[in-house]
Amino acid sequence: MNSPFPKSSSADGKGCIIVRRLPSGVSDLETFEYQYPLKLVTPKRPPQTSALVYLLSYGGGLVGGDQINLTIEVKTGARLSLATQGHTKIFKSASPDIVTRQIMRVNIATGAAVCLLPDPVQPFARSVYEQLQIFRLAQNASLCLLDWVTEGRTALGEHWSFVKWVGRNEVWTVAEDQDTQDRLLVRDVAILDSKRVHLQLPVLRESMNGLSVFGTLILRGPLMKSVGEFFLAEFGALPRLGARDWRNDDAKDSKESVDRLSPLDKWRAERHQREKDNKVMWSASSVRGCVVVKFGAPTVEDGRLWVGSMLTQEGSIAQNFGDQALMCLRW
Amino acid sequence: MILSKVNGESGHEIDDEIADLERRLAEAKTKRSHSTSLNSHPPLTKPLSSPLTSPTHFLLLLSDSALPLGSFAFSSGLESYLAHQKVVFGQPSSFASFLPLSISSYASTTLPFVLAAHRDPSLANLTALDDALDAAIVCTVGRRASVAQGRALLSIWERSFAGALAEQGTAGGAGGGTDVNDALRGFSALLRSSSNTSSSSSSSTTTTTTTPTSTPALTNGDNTPTTTPISSPNNDPPPPPPVAAHLGPLFGALCALAGLGLEQTAYVFMVSHVKALVSAAVRAGMFGPYQAQKTLASAAVQGLVAAVVQREWETPVEEAGQSVPVMDLWVGRHEVLYSRIFNS
Repeated sequence: MNSPFPKSSSADGKGCIIVRRLPSGVSDLETFEYQYPLKLVTPKRPPQTSALVYLLSYGGGLVGGDQINLTIEVKTGARLSLATQGHTKIFKSASPDIVTRQIMRVNIATGAAVCLLPDPVQPFARSVYEQLQIFRLAQNASLCLLDWVTEGRTALGEHWSFVKWVGRNEVWTVAEDQDTQDRLLVRDVAILDSKRVHLQLPVLRESMNGLSVFGTLILRGPLMKSVGEFFLAEFGALPRLGARDWRNDDAKDSKESVDRLSPLDKWRAERHQREKDNKVMWSASSVRGCVVVKFGAPTVEDGRLWVGSMLTQEGSIAQNFGDQALMCLRW
Repeated sequence: MILSKVNGESGHEIDDEIADLERRLAEAKTKRSHSTSLNSHPPLTKPLSSPLTSPTHFLLLLSDSALPLGSFAFSSGLESYLAHQKVVFGQPSSFASFLPLSISSYASTTLPFVLAAHRDPSLANLTALDDALDAAIVCTVGRRASVAQGRALLSIWERSFAGALAEQGTAGGAGGGTDVNDALRGFSALLRSSSNTSSSSSSSTTTTTTTPTSTPALTNGDNTPTTTPISSPNNDPPPPPPVAAHLGPLFGALCALAGLGLEQTAYVFMVSHVKALVSAAVRAGMFGPYQAQKTLASAAVQGLVAAVVQREWETPVEEAGQSVPVMDLWVGRHEVLYSRIFNS
């Protein structure tokens, strides 16, 4: 049916990034293409260890109905970091059937690596958004993927006030030869829908139980082995909920007991206290050769502080991809 | 006979009445001939033949809380929710607020897999669904609960239902019954063989990582040897086993085998979840057995279950997902509780 209204200004923003590894060992952008509303930027002096691309959009956000379709190929042995410069804003849609969509397909060749640590997506009130990110990993390929979403514009009183937000992340291993098949390792899907199919169901903002940000971190491959194990170990070392510390206050705060702690123990004790004060909830699981971390916090900045602090403390991301890879997680 | 001649030209109604009277007369006569005592009771309604009642019969078995799935061991995040609301947030907690979230979450993550398995309970599809669900439950505690109950259900089929359902498949001629039995048999064999190989392959990788350069061909295990030389040995963990045996797809397939309809299957699956939650609440001391039954009987629960079944009716399994993200945190963080009475 022809609409009597003028066509929406939404556009299909295609993009393509191909990264190769030069004989010198430097990761080089072989192909770097994008069109409105997608904008890609790479620094003049990228980090030594990895290529770096900022995923941006004109105007700092996606207007209702915008489509972004980004294809990325990272060739054998190359490394790519992807970051953003500020929240990805999702503006309102004129009607619930106008979906703003971002699709990213990433192929990671043997021994190659991708580190995607963007700022969170910030869906404004009345926005409708779908995000699909598919990562296909060859043997020994590595992936660090952070996907997080906020309640919206907190300052304007927005608190999960959008129409719909769907985020889907898939991690596949690619068949090495014709006899084997591609295998899905992890498919993580979040569906935040303001539509309630029954009156007994709480409204979306109630079902988020006070969270302002919610995120998923997926780690896979040789380069992420150490950081993955770090999250699992830290999760195992979390204080038990409902346990009591039977020592008296003097013993707890005594200088000797604090001094005896190693720097890691000290950092951990401080982090535990911060998690308790900030009500940061997180969990980590080892799933089909990947480590999946989920976290949520009552404020966006506390969520950023938590995930940034964890990755900085462990250190291997910065080592393998450069400090810039973590720039969206600075607090 | 005489009556029919007299009223020969009347309408159908009288003919019908006569036919009915004659039938009743005949029935009364046979009754008198069969029993010595005369009785003037109206004829009993004819009992349904057993093949017709079989789906209902299995509906009752599959919805019975005595079905040994071990569901009592799992609270689906309820226990963790209670602890977190109290300790972390200092907020009041209530079953009334947890229940709708849990129903919505369980339906959005799992129900599409149940429906898909019922629609196509072939071995190939059952295996694919199980693998896809295994990739989608990204939480140790949730996986444990789903797999424990799935394997229990497979055992129930194997040890208790398979014989009866195979007979019914041949006798009732419902068609496809034997196929589903075969699919479940194949699935069970796959599960047994994969649990054997997965333990051996994981041990082989731990040994090869210590000597990475010696024999790279061995790291591929039973895979066909790769022709292209790979500069570094494969450091990837072994691929996941082909099947894990999650509850959802197996439940869908077993219900299809037992002759339950798609709607019935979805409804029983969700109601069983609610029953397990309510029973967990009773054991957690939230309320007593009368309140539990009141909750189960409520229009709210009926309405919620029906609404989520409808919501997920056409959801493709690729688009199934978590509608209540905080549920993943509650379930995942069950492990950090100091004291636990449930496994999830």
